[in-house]
Amino acid sequence: MTTAPETRVGGKTITFGDDVNTDVIIPGRYLVSIDPVELAEHAFEPLGPEVQKELKASRVVVAGRNFGCGSAREQAASCLTGAGVRAVVATSFSRVFFRNAINTGLVAVECPQAVDALAAAGGRGEMWVDYDQGTVETAGGTFGFAPYPQGLREILQDGGLIPHLMRSFAQEGTVR
Amino acid sequence: MNLVEKILARASGRDSVQPGEIVIAGVDRLLMHDLSGYLTSEVYEKRVGRPIPHPERAVMVFDHHFSPPTERQAEILEANRAWARKHGITLMDCGSGNLHHAAVRGGHVKPGMIVVGSDSHTPVHGALGTLAVALGNDSHAGTVLPYGKAWFRVPETVRIELHGVPRPGTTARDIALWLVAQIGEGALNYRALEFAGPYVKQASFWDRWLFPLLTVDLGAKCGFVEPDEVTEAFVRTLPGGLDGELPHSDGAQDAATVLRYDVSEVPAQVACPPTVGNTRSVADAAGTRVGWAELGGHGGGRLEDIRAAAEVLDGRRVHPDTRLNIVPSSRQVFAEALAEGLVARLHEAGATWFPPSTGSNQAINMGAMAAGEAMICTHSRNFPGRNGSTDAAVYLASAATVAASAAAGEIAGAARPGAERSAA
Repeated sequence: MTTAPETRVGGKTITFGDDVNTDVIIPGRYLVSIDPVELAEHAFEPLGPEVQKELKASRVVVAGRNFGCGSAREQAASCLTGAGVRAVVATSFSRVFFRNAINTGLVAVECPQAVDALAAAGGRGEMWVDYDQGTVETAGGTFGFAPYPQGLREILQDGGLIPHLMRSFAQEGTVR
Repeated sequence: MNLVEKILARASGRDSVQPGEIVIAGVDRLLMHDLSGYLTSEVYEKRVGRPIPHPERAVMVFDHHFSPPTERQAEILEANRAWARKHGITLMDCGSGNLHHAAVRGGHVKPGMIVVGSDSHTPVHGALGTLAVALGNDSHAGTVLPYGKAWFRVPETVRIELHGVPRPGTTARDIALWLVAQIGEGALNYRALEFAGPYVKQASFWDRWLFPLLTVDLGAKCGFVEPDEVTEAFVRTLPGGLDGELPHSDGAQDAATVLRYDVSEVPAQVACPPTVGNTRSVADAAGTRVGWAELGGHGGGRLEDIRAAAEVLDGRRVHPDTRLNIVPSSRQVFAEALAEGLVARLHEAGATWFPPSTGSNQAINMGAMAAGEAMICTHSRNFPGRNGSTDAAVYLASAATVAASAAAGEIAGAARPGAERSAA
């Protein structure tokens, strides 16, 4: 890979409210799979086929407070990646969802101003996140967020925790 | 430093840590259940594929299946068994009990440890004075299994002090459910929660257990109860006993925030769909028809719950339109219930005994409901769709309320005040 890692991701948004839980994002009966594409078929299934269709046409999930609350299932993040989502921008995350998102290579940003600005602009449109610059662009303006520590940026650039670790192994040549 | 900070400092080889710092710490226990363990094994074998240097630190409990209902599920359990055998991972097979209860009763969790797991209720082990945190499978497969380590941000601590003597008929579970509503779901994101105050101090070990259990609902990273003589006496009953000194916080001034609550006027509670924090008093929820009632799950299926149900059902029977499932949280609890004569008493009152497991949690091997059905139970989640139809309802309550509702066929309070107090 010689191309510079893409740190700016985004596109069409799909909007959810507060306290979206992991049973809504990916129901427990599908948890025997770790294939993001297979999981994506069932992402947001409890909300019906219209929402699922809209999800697949979207690149950014925009949500209110406490997104991803409930179980610690990593598939709540990977099913979104499988559906083509590149970033989640929320007022706040449940801590384990945030950790799982970074570890599976999904950009997750807490930026209440951008969430509010999109809502004020009618709740539809595009949103772009640059996690290197620490900015979220959407209708109504560009907003900053606390930049990730270097370690998290490296995990995202490598596409998740395991690819990152495998890359580190390869570079070190040894495993302790 | 408080307990959490001391444990993180010890495990990361530092003299001290400060809230906000990120440390890489040695992990003492990885707890997996049959579903999360399968995912971790898949990720590990397909994407990591290295030796596991400390397999004795990993424990897998089959608790979502006491028996696999489909061929696919049987295959998953077989794959787990083969993986555990290959690496020497400790396996507790079907019938062992709920993941967290079986791990504790098996002597796998001791004070001062760092405990991680994919189950979001893993922080419950803070009841023993551990640092217990839920992580996802990739963390386990990528760092915990091959290196025995994980990264942690040192959390700010919030001390939750509970004062007062509860009313007769109000149990520890009622207070725990009430507390979620008082504080607010997700309101303490990333924090460490210390459960303290005279009410917690006087509570039995298994009543204390119900408080760190709710840290996930509040959004917190972990919760703990400062180890004391109650903790020590309990740990001495476990296999291996107390194998080190009890860890302690340095002093009382080590929590960033203190929240104080008076529990003396809290009535018995029911958490109604769609979330754990949507609580009402049992009196307000009374009259809702329930076809299912169940003792079981991470917080239920304790000996205390079974005793409470037996007391409530003394001289009464389960309503003809309602089924009461009893799922002991561990084999030890089932043996204790047998010894106390509770198995026969509840059987004769119309209850059905199920094997030690996590029961109807997520309806993996039992507990699915059709649209319009309702269950009242001691489980830890009530999100719509978790047990079959999204139009089925799950209500969370104390064992006494569950038993009283099973007898009434609808949500009802325990008839006799004081009957549901759990024995210390």
